[in-house]
Amino acid sequence: MRPFTYERVDSATAAIAAFGAGAVGAASERQYLAGGTTLIDLMKLDVMRPQTVIDINALDRTALGRVETNDQGLRLGALAHMSEVADHPVIKRDYPMIAQSLELAASPQIRNMATLGGNVLQRTRCPYFRDVSYAECNKRIPGSGCAALDGFNRSHAVLGVSDACIATYPGDFGQALIALDAMVELRGRNGDRKLPFGALHRPPGGNPEIETALLPGEIITGFAIAAAPWLRRSLYLKIRDRQSYEFALASAAIALDMGKNQIVQEVRIALGGVASVPWRARSAERALQGRRLNEQTARAAADTAFADANPHEHNLFKVGLGKRTLVRALLQAATMEL
Amino acid sequence: MAADAAPEPKANMGQPVPRLDARLKVTGEARYAADFPVGNPAYAFLVTSAIAKGRIIRLDTESARAVPGVLDILTQDNTAELKEVKFGSGGASTSIQKLGPEIAHDGQIIAMVVADTFEAAREAAYKVKATYAEDKPSATFGDEGLKEEDATKVSERHKHVPKVGDADAALASADVLVDAEYGTPTQHHNPIELFATTCVWNGGQLTIYEPTQFVYGLKNSLAKKMDVAPENVRAISPYVGGAFGSKGQFTPRTGLVALAAKKLNRPVKLVVTRDQGFTTATYRAETRHHIRLGARRDGKITGYSHEGWEITSRPDAYVVAGVEDSARIYGFGAVQTKVNAVHADRNTPGFMRSPPVVPYIYALESAMDELAARLAIDPVELRRINDTMHDPITGKPYSSRSLMRCYDEAAKAFDWSRRNPEPRSMRDGDWFIGLGCATAVYPTHVGPAAARVRMLANGEVQVQIAAHEIGNGAYTVIGQMAAERLGVPLSSVKVELGDSSLPPAPVAGGSNTTASACSAVLKACDAIRVRLARSVATTDRGRAAGFAADNGQEMRADLFRRLGVGAIEEYAEFIPRGGKPDAVKQLYAGQVAMTGGPNGEKLMYAFGAEFVEVRINALTREIRVPRIVGAFAAGRLMNTRTARSQYMGGMIWGISSALHEATEIDKARARYVNDNLADYLVPVNADIDRVEVILVPEEDHEVNPAGVKGIGELANVGTAAAVANAVYHAIGIRIRELPIRIEKLLDA
Amino acid sequence: MPNATFHSVATSVAGWSRRMFLTASATSLAVPLFARTSRAEAMDPQTARAKDPRDPANLALTVNGRKHQLALDARTTLLDALRERLGLTGAKKGCDHGQCGACTVLIDGRRVLSCLTLALVAEGRAVTTIEGLAKPDGTLHPMQQAFIDQDAFQCGYCTPGQILSAVSCVEEGHAANDAEIREYMSGNLCRCAAYPNIVAAIKQTKHSMREG
Repeated sequence: MRPFTYERVDSATAAIAAFGAGAVGAASERQYLAGGTTLIDLMKLDVMRPQTVIDINALDRTALGRVETNDQGLRLGALAHMSEVADHPVIKRDYPMIAQSLELAASPQIRNMATLGGNVLQRTRCPYFRDVSYAECNKRIPGSGCAALDGFNRSHAVLGVSDACIATYPGDFGQALIALDAMVELRGRNGDRKLPFGALHRPPGGNPEIETALLPGEIITGFAIAAAPWLRRSLYLKIRDRQSYEFALASAAIALDMGKNQIVQEVRIALGGVASVPWRARSAERALQGRRLNEQTARAAADTAFADANPHEHNLFKVGLGKRTLVRALLQAATMEL
Repeated sequence: MAADAAPEPKANMGQPVPRLDARLKVTGEARYAADFPVGNPAYAFLVTSAIAKGRIIRLDTESARAVPGVLDILTQDNTAELKEVKFGSGGASTSIQKLGPEIAHDGQIIAMVVADTFEAAREAAYKVKATYAEDKPSATFGDEGLKEEDATKVSERHKHVPKVGDADAALASADVLVDAEYGTPTQHHNPIELFATTCVWNGGQLTIYEPTQFVYGLKNSLAKKMDVAPENVRAISPYVGGAFGSKGQFTPRTGLVALAAKKLNRPVKLVVTRDQGFTTATYRAETRHHIRLGARRDGKITGYSHEGWEITSRPDAYVVAGVEDSARIYGFGAVQTKVNAVHADRNTPGFMRSPPVVPYIYALESAMDELAARLAIDPVELRRINDTMHDPITGKPYSSRSLMRCYDEAAKAFDWSRRNPEPRSMRDGDWFIGLGCATAVYPTHVGPAAARVRMLANGEVQVQIAAHEIGNGAYTVIGQMAAERLGVPLSSVKVELGDSSLPPAPVAGGSNTTASACSAVLKACDAIRVRLARSVATTDRGRAAGFAADNGQEMRADLFRRLGVGAIEEYAEFIPRGGKPDAVKQLYAGQVAMTGGPNGEKLMYAFGAEFVEVRINALTREIRVPRIVGAFAAGRLMNTRTARSQYMGGMIWGISSALHEATEIDKARARYVNDNLADYLVPVNADIDRVEVILVPEEDHEVNPAGVKGIGELANVGTAAAVANAVYHAIGIRIRELPIRIEKLLDA
Repeated sequence: MPNATFHSVATSVAGWSRRMFLTASATSLAVPLFARTSRAEAMDPQTARAKDPRDPANLALTVNGRKHQLALDARTTLLDALRERLGLTGAKKGCDHGQCGACTVLIDGRRVLSCLTLALVAEGRAVTTIEGLAKPDGTLHPMQQAFIDQDAFQCGYCTPGQILSAVSCVEEGHAANDAEIREYMSGNLCRCAAYPNIVAAIKQTKHSMREG
């Protein structure tokens, strides 16, 4: 871990001011610290080397730490902890996909530490990114190459990848947010703005080092999810080698508004564990719209979702597993008792 | 209240008393190596190679040295005074001990930074920059550039090749033949305690705190490394936070810490990071097996051929050669075996829980299930048909063997009879159900040991022996042995372990601790009884010798009065039958010669039978194990509580080995990729549901005076085969290469 | 159960501990205390040299109800501060990256990983370690006693983290049944694999904890 200057702030405004006043160097040399479950981890590995660390944990006592629910929908403060949101009775009842995506992630201790804002910004688990002894990683060292392409790539992505990077977006909650068309609320030097959650993360393309659309010093203040008829019939299915405390091999977030005779009125689908960013499967949604949901239509939708998959040596199975996961999730959603 | 945890003792089983070290362990007061406070320590951090094969051309330490607080950086240039320690049992874990310039494997230690703080040492370690001339490495099976050798010609661990009759002819004429290849992956022990070393010099005296399964080995090897007399080195390791074989040998880090502490004249503390532990200690190497098993139509096996291939490093021919055990376990008829050492650009492998039998019995027990399916004979009955009380190779008898009783008791508890033998025939909703079984077996080892026992007139007892507490319950069972022999309550017994200033015990490997240590303690206790008995007239001696049985405090006090002493102390040395006369002398020098297994006048083995239920999701194919039942017979059990726990943990290890554990290798670079606990998967609590242990009574007075067979490495043997066999039963696919993961089941 | 184990090193251990505590206190007395750390000044007025971000930061840590004044490198994790500076070695280092749970402690009553928590972040909060769980008179917390009764450990290394996690598991209300206990104890690896006994210990304790 490189040495850094530590500052503690108690408001978003103070945080942004501290960031702007950061000692020297590029924005990447200044980092906000909340739960620390990504940042401290990667600093110990010498992957992240901020010179200034701005502790924003005290912001959880402001509006940024609150969870608000009403008829219009849900607002989640960015400093709320994963565990609080996962255990929230209204979210468990009315937004099961959100509660499940949080509950199935990480471990109880990590969920107590990690905040929602930090969660969506967690970095990839690609072993070649996390280990600085590998010379090739375009995400760490732009232009250096990608060791995963010819390396061990079982955990890597098959959707949204490029020749420069096949790292997987590891999160679960992000799939729920993108499936539900959440808005992400931001505050920066130039005031507040909102982004569709789907615009927050950038696929790697030729610049895998640029992961989000955040401006330097910008801070996520919250997430808004509008009430919708498909929220009650929603779920998050996560498939992994072991039963718990593991990142997804494949996951599916489903929200379904189903009419009579299993006819799909509306469906929202996102996929995890298989893509470079939180992944909305719109083609699969279109394939199901207005159709009767059964195993056959679910399989056809799943085939659509993975039509552009680009697998490598060890993650070829993720195409098949991803499809099966989506089919299982769809059928499970269809049979949910409300 | 805790009925499951404390099974009622059956015949030849000791009481399920709680662990003597329990309170220390639940309060955080038990001191593991890195917990010992030392005055003003400096902190070390290793730097390891980023390539697997080649040379260091340049090692730039300038910016590392510039980090404030850095005290020293050890490299190939300033560590020449460290001596080589010979590779092998009781010695070094590897011949690759130099910090360069040659690089022989990924993650080889190339430097060690020492600084005032851990934070400075870590920062500086990342600033040490190595430039390499890299050669193309050979990582594992299938790669170019491997070197294959007949293991008997190069390994000290494989001298006897089991062979009897004409196996080729028997197999050629068999009614039914299974001819299959199996594979097991690289695995790392990953005890939760990291590899820590703290060295403190006090004048010429060196004290080392390091988690070890062999304090006398550590003491003597470190003395050689530092070129000092062994009496000037003291190794302290009262608690080991899991070892599983990884802490039995002398690894290259230790000498560096001792040297740094000497140069700085200050205690130096190193805690090796998790990822560095993958390459600076040992591992279970990947293996390949070719098995041919032939039988008559009625199930009698007529021939067994087993050839194994094991990966090892370039310089060291480490093999486990499990054919020496697998060839004994059934009445095979004709047998032929061969083991090959396959040299690659890797660190040297080493002992990992049940080293020989885990891979070899997995392969054999998988083949047995294939044979049962081919014969349409129940897998349990196939074992019964081929059960034997004699070594098929030499004809020697087993000292005891309760395999079929284990099968029968476990099968009943598991309700094996509900199994429909047809694969893919059992289902619960969206889940395929599969039931499988396999044999567990482990050779009984015993080694020389010495112990000192002191008894006070008031009945307080102190036991001193440098045995090792690695979770095996050593404090507890050794204390129980002394309490039992001296007729005092366990609460009056104090036990000291894990310190090379105590009388020596063997390496805590091969599951010999209870057998060896308890035999020595028993001998010392009996010597105390004899001295007490001698204090009275000949006619009373019979009664006096029985004071322990009487548990008579008054008699004891009376005997001490007659002797006129306040305490009696006895030191005893135990050498097992077949051991050399100088075995204890060798033990003091850090060398252990074990006896037992197939090597004595009788075959000495513990057996068990395990039954597993797996569930496989019909769509997404993840595999879960809701239930496992194991029955085990291993001679005398000192404590049914600690025994059950060890068996339970062993079976979970077996499940882990079947479904989760594999160290993944980047083949192009010959580097371990998943060198951390998020990616190297071991089960979490949610993976483990019902685990049932059946303790089968067995009496065996021939294995050793204590009558115990080792149990720590029994229950994780065969489990992987039982799981694989259950997977076949569930879904109709025979997976012959571990681990069994989702991707191997998707295409069915 | 009397403590029937002893080591010849035990006395010297106690001596070392005392010395170490004295060192820690002396350091903190020699350095002026700040209520809260602030951004590094360009120059340190006392030494008139460029201030290095590695220079010790002053902080107060409250552990098991006792306040400690410390001067620490800002990079020091709570785990390393507890172990290397306060002599509280019950919390264990098993991975140092949030992957094993051996370093679990409670902060303001919630279970967290001390290896991924900077000591500075824990300032002003109540930290509880395994050393603070039993009563001062030595009476074990019911969860500690249940771990003994159910033989819920072997080597004991992960045990302090398991016990603190288990206490939280009950207090959070995540111990309704076996399946829930297993899921909510999955952040603590046990390589000896005492998992079924850990579940049994939590079941034994959950009622007495609620009554108490």
